[in-house]
Amino acid sequence: MNRPNWLIHPVFILVSSILALVLSLFLYIYWYIEISSGLRSIIDRFNLDTGQFLTSQTWVVILVLTVLVGVIIMGIFIIFVYNLKTLRLYRLQHNFINNFTHELKTPVTSLKLYLETFLKYELSRDDQLKYTHYMLADTARLSNDINRILNLAQIESKSYAEAFNLQNLPEAIEQFYHSNSHLFRDCDIKIHLPHNRAYFYRIIPSMFEMLLMNLFTNALKYNDAAVPRIEISFHEKRKKMVIRFKDNGIGIAKAELKKIFKKFYQVGRSDDMSAKGSGLGLYLVDHIAKIHKGKIIAQSDGIGQGAVFCLILPWRH
Amino acid sequence: MNSDLKPRILVIEDDLHIAEGLKLNLALQGYDVKIAQNGPAGIQMWREWRPDLIVLDIMLPGIDGLSILRNIRLEDEKIPILILSAKATTDYKVKGLSYGVDDYLTKPFSLEEFLLRVDRLVKRASWSNSESDLAQGINAEETERFSFGNNQVDFKTMTADCKSGQVRLTEQEAKLLKLFLLNPGQPLSREKLLQIGWGYTKGTTTRTVDNFIVRFRKYFEDNPKNPSYFVSIRSIGYIFYADPDDKAE
Repeated sequence: MNRPNWLIHPVFILVSSILALVLSLFLYIYWYIEISSGLRSIIDRFNLDTGQFLTSQTWVVILVLTVLVGVIIMGIFIIFVYNLKTLRLYRLQHNFINNFTHELKTPVTSLKLYLETFLKYELSRDDQLKYTHYMLADTARLSNDINRILNLAQIESKSYAEAFNLQNLPEAIEQFYHSNSHLFRDCDIKIHLPHNRAYFYRIIPSMFEMLLMNLFTNALKYNDAAVPRIEISFHEKRKKMVIRFKDNGIGIAKAELKKIFKKFYQVGRSDDMSAKGSGLGLYLVDHIAKIHKGKIIAQSDGIGQGAVFCLILPWRH
Repeated sequence: MNSDLKPRILVIEDDLHIAEGLKLNLALQGYDVKIAQNGPAGIQMWREWRPDLIVLDIMLPGIDGLSILRNIRLEDEKIPILILSAKATTDYKVKGLSYGVDDYLTKPFSLEEFLLRVDRLVKRASWSNSESDLAQGINAEETERFSFGNNQVDFKTMTADCKSGQVRLTEQEAKLLKLFLLNPGQPLSREKLLQIGWGYTKGTTTRTVDNFIVRFRKYFEDNPKNPSYFVSIRSIGYIFYADPDDKAE
């Protein structure tokens, strides 16, 4: 509720230092004119040689002073903007730590709970199986979270060891879906394969898989529909290939469409606990698309209208 | 309390695995357990099912746990509530306790400890329920009657004595009024007022809150045009001052 002081503070400092600079510029010029006119009257009175004292033009002095002060003001402004950005990142990182702790603690809590239950009671075989599957899902969730952090470091430093590999993208996506179908059990996922068309593209398979995993899980996670649905289709547009991932999820507000790709950004606020997850998924997706020389954009008609993510890759016949 | 039946426990937790694990264990301990996976469903189930204990998560979709807690406490001071949350900072614990939670466990928790705490809370609630109503009546007095300025509000009889005589409060008016009276000097946003006062956010606009404030001002303010108790804060919401002189600070 009460706005943090830091926002008001730097703005105040910025404004007052700019005011001080402008004032000093005014005073420099004022004094300069004052002194040079005084000097001129002395010269006139004693009939001295003018060239000896007033070699430089008044306007040149004023211009130089103004330019210098302008440069200083610009410098201050850049530092100010940079400072704001750092603070924003710091705040986002703080959110990230808060939310990610929750993200890590949840599967650990569940695992611990079931392990202690197993220690305490003799459960029937059916129950044991059911809960063991829960635990397996939790470990998968944990290792996903850990991988995301590790991959983030790798992708940001661009130090991925794997080589690019020529693959038919529709096939690669279908392959990905089939090998992970246990994760998407109660969902309706349609891949519209292009007719008699192969789209070969050079990808880093593990990275591309990560991109797909993030897009798929987002489409299902942010989804209130009884049967979450994803439709994937391929389109050619001039020298580009567009892969559309359309879902029937909760949609994205217009103002959020671009922000969601920022690092640590999350729709929802951390103070009312509506933000969940790491805020890294789409940031990674964006980075991976860039590594593949493409880009990713989000489209949505607003909240409740579903969302479309388009992966756009350069492509020639 | 359903003394001849199993004690009922409502688990409000959005992670299905944890919720089912809790249900399994509590059921094995002889409790009747239901799960609500989001805030609004939790509040609805609490109303309809009347559980004897609530196990509450903080990070929930819809309405967060602390708002649920405050919503429930406006109507029911007694029901034992245990918060089970990954939020481990003292800040959250203090907040939870100040809003009237009975116990606070952080995730990951020890199963044995959790079960023992639940057991204790349910037992203690059953004792206090069987105590004479007289004793409770006196205790309740403190939180049932309020006065500010020339106004008296009695939540037991749902009436208010104010400048225009006695006013009968509707249930919703009483709840919202109580929320203000319990938090004097604290700014309350329209969204929070909706979440805590109504227990849901969908399908209601923040205008609704404004309409109630207009009514409160008509009842209690000497000059409704220039309110001194129910004061607006621009772009935030409202603040209640029990003593208008506090404002000067």
